[in-house]
Amino acid sequence: MAAEPGLQELRELVAEFQPGRGHVLPALHKVQHTYGWVPRAAIEVIARQLNTTPALIYGAVTFYSDFRTHPPATYEVAWCCGPACRLRGGEAIREAIQDELGIGLDEQTPDHRFGLHVGQCNGTCHEAPQIWVNGRVRGNLTPESARDLIRSLRDGE
Amino acid sequence: MNARLQKLIADARAAWQAEQASGRVRIRVTLDTSSIARGAEETLARLREAAASRKIDADVGITGSWGFCWLEPCVSVRSAAGTHAVLYGNVTPDRVDELIEAIAAGRDLPSLALGVIEGNATPEIPLLEDHPFMKGQVRRLMANLGRTDPENIDHYLAHGGYEGFGKALEMDAEAIVKEVLDSGLGGRGGGGFPTGRKWDFLRNATASPRYLICNADEGDPGAWVNRILMEGDPHLIIEGMLIAALASHADEGYIYIRYEYPLAFERMKKAVAQAYEKGLLGKDILGTGKNFELIVFLGAGAYVCGEETGLINSIDGYRGMPRIKPPFPAQAGLWNKPTNVNNVESYANAPLILRNGAQWWSSVSDAKEKGTKMFTFSGHVKQAGCIEIPFGPKVRTLLEQYAGGLSGDLPLKGFQPGGPLSGVLPASDIDLTLTLDPYRERGMFLGSGGVVFFDQSACIVDLCLFFLGFCEDESCGRCTTCHGGTQRAVEILRRIAAGGGRDADLDNFEKLIGTLVWSNCLHGQFAMTSIKTSLKTFRDEYVEHIVDKVCRAGVCKGLMPGRWARRAAPQPAAAAAD
Ligand SMILES: Cc1cc2nc3c(=O)[nH]c(=O)nc-3n(C[C@H](O)[C@H](O)[C@H](O)COP(=O)(O)O)c2cc1C
Ligand code: SF4
Ligand code: FES
Repeated sequence: MAAEPGLQELRELVAEFQPGRGHVLPALHKVQHTYGWVPRAAIEVIARQLNTTPALIYGAVTFYSDFRTHPPATYEVAWCCGPACRLRGGEAIREAIQDELGIGLDEQTPDHRFGLHVGQCNGTCHEAPQIWVNGRVRGNLTPESARDLIRSLRDGE
Repeated sequence: MNARLQKLIADARAAWQAEQASGRVRIRVTLDTSSIARGAEETLARLREAAASRKIDADVGITGSWGFCWLEPCVSVRSAAGTHAVLYGNVTPDRVDELIEAIAAGRDLPSLALGVIEGNATPEIPLLEDHPFMKGQVRRLMANLGRTDPENIDHYLAHGGYEGFGKALEMDAEAIVKEVLDSGLGGRGGGGFPTGRKWDFLRNATASPRYLICNADEGDPGAWVNRILMEGDPHLIIEGMLIAALASHADEGYIYIRYEYPLAFERMKKAVAQAYEKGLLGKDILGTGKNFELIVFLGAGAYVCGEETGLINSIDGYRGMPRIKPPFPAQAGLWNKPTNVNNVESYANAPLILRNGAQWWSSVSDAKEKGTKMFTFSGHVKQAGCIEIPFGPKVRTLLEQYAGGLSGDLPLKGFQPGGPLSGVLPASDIDLTLTLDPYRERGMFLGSGGVVFFDQSACIVDLCLFFLGFCEDESCGRCTTCHGGTQRAVEILRRIAAGGGRDADLDNFEKLIGTLVWSNCLHGQFAMTSIKTSLKTFRDEYVEHIVDKVCRAGVCKGLMPGRWARRAAPQPAAAAAD
């Protein structure tokens, strides 16, 4: 588990942001971009920097599906839940991956190498059904090729 | 025209012409999210390497999408003499050598060619405009896509870019609004509200500062027209917002881009930075004394932030929950100041209207809706891509001509015109036109341009489960009707799919339809649309699920597979039944 960054480090990271200027999301993005997630301490630091309450910042963090409140896995697998992927067999892809990894959506393997979550269609429906591994599209999957892909990642591609 | 702008344009044109006359082979790779998904970055790198190692004097660069998304990576090659250029499709990294071979030998590669884009057709390669996918398309918004580098403002300036803004600079706000009103431009985000009227609301507002927001949240799954524009021609959107700013006396603008579009975010940011550098944004724009600041803002994954007031709360840093209207954004929007929200494609039309006039702009379509509209299409189709057509063609044309027909051998079952709130229609409605009215009349709406087709392997209960599940997940939680209602609908659908359907369920749906319309925003109000529309036309299938415990498509695992099941994609349940 990654260590929480120090307060001073966090304060410097978000020092450029100002209250009342729409800086909540940009500050959270910067933190997540830096650490891969939004550590608990960052919520208080951002709140102070933006002259607001931790409750408001926390409220924002939990509203948006792309902020993580825990460190990411080595391979973050996003499963596209969109219509083209579903029509082309996306459910079977999800089942195969869940079975292969032994985890459900929004879970990580115990060794933190794989995380699985829902992804929203990014308009590459021509590759349906697909997943994104750390943001990279792996498309035209069958349940078998999805399992193979996961296995090859697990064995160190 | 403003002298500084004139100089910017003249310099850019001169640079473009010099580039054209360089005597070098020009290779352009479409680099966007769709092509990258199919290996375009590697194609680009290999093309550069191969050209260098074979000592071909080539200028290798990038461009936006031609719309042939299913055939990416697309690569165009222009001869050294500049008299002949061909567009190729499916240039996957492993095909680069073959292409380079042909280039080195000074010949075309007909096996991968989509068409000739400059010069005459050859015996083997017809003109691209004669390609079935291009016929009937009118590329105005997409005019630069495939031809210019989206990361180079000079390319935009050399192709009529910022000329519409130049014209607007010489007009007063009222005249700009009038031009846009005369054009008949309607909002492209789904509602179709006259864009000129919205600008006029802001123009007449009394408070300041005033804000413009470009809604680039494009959350409807299956729609990627806004992404194609942002990744392919970002300055078109900036220029549109500049024109809107002049028309409405706005001080500051935001482009709110969804988190799923990182490349569009990078491209827009780069384009905005370039516009600042050229003096087209910021203080004292081009020495005119006018100011306009533009900020590119990244969302964080929430469909309701596409709703304009949810979006405003999101910029403000709150949970992106839609507000209760009134007040409307034009009265009290961002930071409770007058605000105008338009879709990407709405703003992008403004430069075309100003540059060429309202008359030219609107005369392209015979339909009530004016101008061109971009559409993407996906699902059970052969070709998932993006087109721009004048308003008016039928859904059938979209499917048969542009999407290349269905991908499997099963008949069409139906389609969704535009997004999870827009509803589903049966195959028998395939001759409806892609205009606003037919959908309005059915209590649904055309949506923002992402049409999804499905064949008989799809189950209507399963599809509605997906759409309602989406609405449930994305409900902001403010209204009991919406968050509780979608939850209830999902429970019932799940139960039906698992074999526990009850006779009362169809009435339960009717009750929910009646309740959800009380919701605060359109998300809740339209969440039941797919059930509402499918209950009319696919009622038999619901009854089969509930009474006979049969799923004709063989999708619902708790039920007996029906008549389409065995021919559908392999289903473990169906296989076991054999
Ligand atoms: C749940 C929901 C999601 C929406 N998503 C979008 C969107 O992604 N893009 C968009 O332009 N409009 C979206 N809209 C419509 C906007 O609220 C607004 O009407 C639109 O941006 C106005 O722009 P226009 O007049 O140019 O169409 C959405 C509406 C709702 C209720
Ligand atoms: S209708 Fe749904 S999304 Fe809209 S405000 Fe109510 S709960 Fe939120
Ligand atoms: S539905 Fe999966 S990418 Fe569009």
